[in-house]
Amino acid sequence: MNLTNMMDYHHYPIYAVMVLFLGAFLVAAGGARHSKNPDNPAGARAWIALCATGLSLLFLVLLVKPVMLGGETIAYWMGMRGIAGGYAIGIALEVDALSLFFALLIATAVFVSAIYSIRYMVHDECVPQYYVLYCLLAGGVLGLVLSGDVFNMFVMVEILTFAAVALTAFRTKVYGALEAAFKYLVVGCMGSTAILTGVILLYAQYHTLNLAQLASLIPGSMNDATKLAFAFLYIGFSTKAFIVPFHPLAADAHGAAPASISVLISGVLTKSGIYAIIRLTWFLFQTMELGSMQFMLVFVGSASMFVCVTMALAQHDFKRLLAYHSISQIGYVLTAVGLSSALGVSAGLYHAMNHTLFKGLLFLAAGAVLHETGTTDLGRLGGLSKKMPHTTVLFLIGAFSISGIPPFNGFASKWMIYQATYQRAVETNNIGFLLATVIALVTSTLTLASFVKVTQSVFFGQLPAEYENVKEVPFGMRLAMGILAALCVLTGLFPNTVTSVLTEPAARAVASVGEYISAMGFKSALPTPELSFAHVGVWAPIKWLLLLCIALLALTIASLAGKYDRVSAPQEEKTDTKYQLFYGGERSVYSQVGGGDLFWGFKHNWRHYFDFMHNLHSGVVNDYALWAVIALALAIVYMMIAL
Amino acid sequence: MIQFNYIAAFFLICLGFYTIVTKYNLVKTVIGMSVMDYGVNLLIISVGYTPGGTAPVFTAGELTRASYFVDPVPQALTLTSIVIGACVTAMSMSLVVRLHESYGTLDTREIRRLRG
Repeated sequence: MNLTNMMDYHHYPIYAVMVLFLGAFLVAAGGARHSKNPDNPAGARAWIALCATGLSLLFLVLLVKPVMLGGETIAYWMGMRGIAGGYAIGIALEVDALSLFFALLIATAVFVSAIYSIRYMVHDECVPQYYVLYCLLAGGVLGLVLSGDVFNMFVMVEILTFAAVALTAFRTKVYGALEAAFKYLVVGCMGSTAILTGVILLYAQYHTLNLAQLASLIPGSMNDATKLAFAFLYIGFSTKAFIVPFHPLAADAHGAAPASISVLISGVLTKSGIYAIIRLTWFLFQTMELGSMQFMLVFVGSASMFVCVTMALAQHDFKRLLAYHSISQIGYVLTAVGLSSALGVSAGLYHAMNHTLFKGLLFLAAGAVLHETGTTDLGRLGGLSKKMPHTTVLFLIGAFSISGIPPFNGFASKWMIYQATYQRAVETNNIGFLLATVIALVTSTLTLASFVKVTQSVFFGQLPAEYENVKEVPFGMRLAMGILAALCVLTGLFPNTVTSVLTEPAARAVASVGEYISAMGFKSALPTPELSFAHVGVWAPIKWLLLLCIALLALTIASLAGKYDRVSAPQEEKTDTKYQLFYGGERSVYSQVGGGDLFWGFKHNWRHYFDFMHNLHSGVVNDYALWAVIALALAIVYMMIAL
Repeated sequence: MIQFNYIAAFFLICLGFYTIVTKYNLVKTVIGMSVMDYGVNLLIISVGYTPGGTAPVFTAGELTRASYFVDPVPQALTLTSIVIGACVTAMSMSLVVRLHESYGTLDTREIRRLRG
């Protein structure tokens, strides 16, 4: 094979995956000894990992032109073993715009997090092994979204679950890390078993493992075994996406894992689960025209949204709180995708992208706080904006984005999701979709409330004496956060470019299953539908940005001109006069509202609900396993009745 | 009677689920996960079985239209699955050891620092 042949872009998908696994191998081959440089204990091995993730991203970016803009679907047979006798005998990679969209998200998050890791992981033991697992995790997820073979998807799921569990437990001395890893392993393993069972039931029916061929065979020949397989696969991939009822695992894992891994768990693992669910429902079984399937996805999505945002409100740990928000945002994605309209899918994918960006940014900011202060307990932090101004600004960008404040990216995608749900409600005259719109709006409000609380209790307010010597984080970490923040702002300011280059080609790929099948060389009579992405897209982000600047300026002037008292509160009086400002009516200069108490009244009114939820999330692994079994049973029953 | 294989496979999977859900000992949880794996392996190997088929080992010259053998694909899948199962067991047992060191117990009801 000559060089020009090797550099043909059809090879890029496999290169993107292989370079990560090769990176893992090279890092492992470099041994486990720490180098002498205290700023980078893994030495050259860290740079190998960084180069591997960067190259992988580069290969995928080069695919944007042919796949996203050119509309080509790359079908790639490993070892040139293609179709024989009408059956796929080789292992295939198939990259359409949907795969590439998710692959780009994943590669971006992985690359940025690798930049961050180099300075973030300096205090840990066994840093070289961290990079081995890191590359394995990245390779597993990328392999999952680029694969065209359902068994291959299962193998990749196992690789990523293993790497993720190991990385969750990486800081074994962190409170609860081992426990979180074990719970994740048990329920994740049940999920993997469910996926394998589903795969094998499909193989028994259709004697092929190729996604495109299965997609050409399954619709029209659904029987009970296929439905059973669907239920197993759906539940299996749900555990990977951490949607309800698997959300407690995400919360545990995020809290214990290093922040750079939390970025991958929230931005990458959940996306791979969502990707697989889209592949299942839209491609493999093609059931999205059915009202029952739409109901299922919208219901699960809305439940994830609401349950997780309320769980987040009750949290006292920075990263755990972010973890619940992460799943809440995944709920938005699932709801939008479940609408089964072109606008809905486009909006959902847009939000998936934004979620990776802003959630990554927030986790990295939380990691920066942890790196400097050694804690993520909201009750003990405070006033860090004076010590870490850059981190504060970057965190605020992330917080504005997730709360859906214009002109940041969260607003653009949430706006599309509200419209998509409402549009479906008008089209179908179905009250359920209307309810989904309301839940999405309420969730967004609660998200904002929750981030007001976090910002107040971590970055503003009183600086505890023990953090007087806290410094700003190193440049490498700020660079990683800066990249994500810049992307958050850019994708918010130019939503039309994002939709036309990234999400609409991907949404078009979701709708044109026929092309997916025929690109692989199988027959398909499915037509390519005409899609309309029309919506009230007359937001003008630049104007919103100006408005935001004016508002901030006004606030600054007002606070400077007014009687702004710079006296800091003495520590010991904090406990007594905490609530007086709001409840006592007494003049209390020295009162500071603690982080967890900002919404005291709200939490008091909802105490029965919060108590109930707190007791429900008992932390016992048996309970979470029971939820998994119940979910599986319900899914099986539902599929049998509804399909 | 291949039906018995399918019944046994799903019985083993359910037994695995049952063990994980009802047993409060971490080691038993790991056993439950293994049992679940064995169930799936049995299912895979049963899917590829054809009554009277021989082992799917042929050289290119021997293979004719009349060759009658069991499906080789599920056997390859089972091998992969067995390897993964062994890894799961190894990893979960190492976690159990570390958990026992730091919590001093194997009871899942007491290993619940993270909740709510």
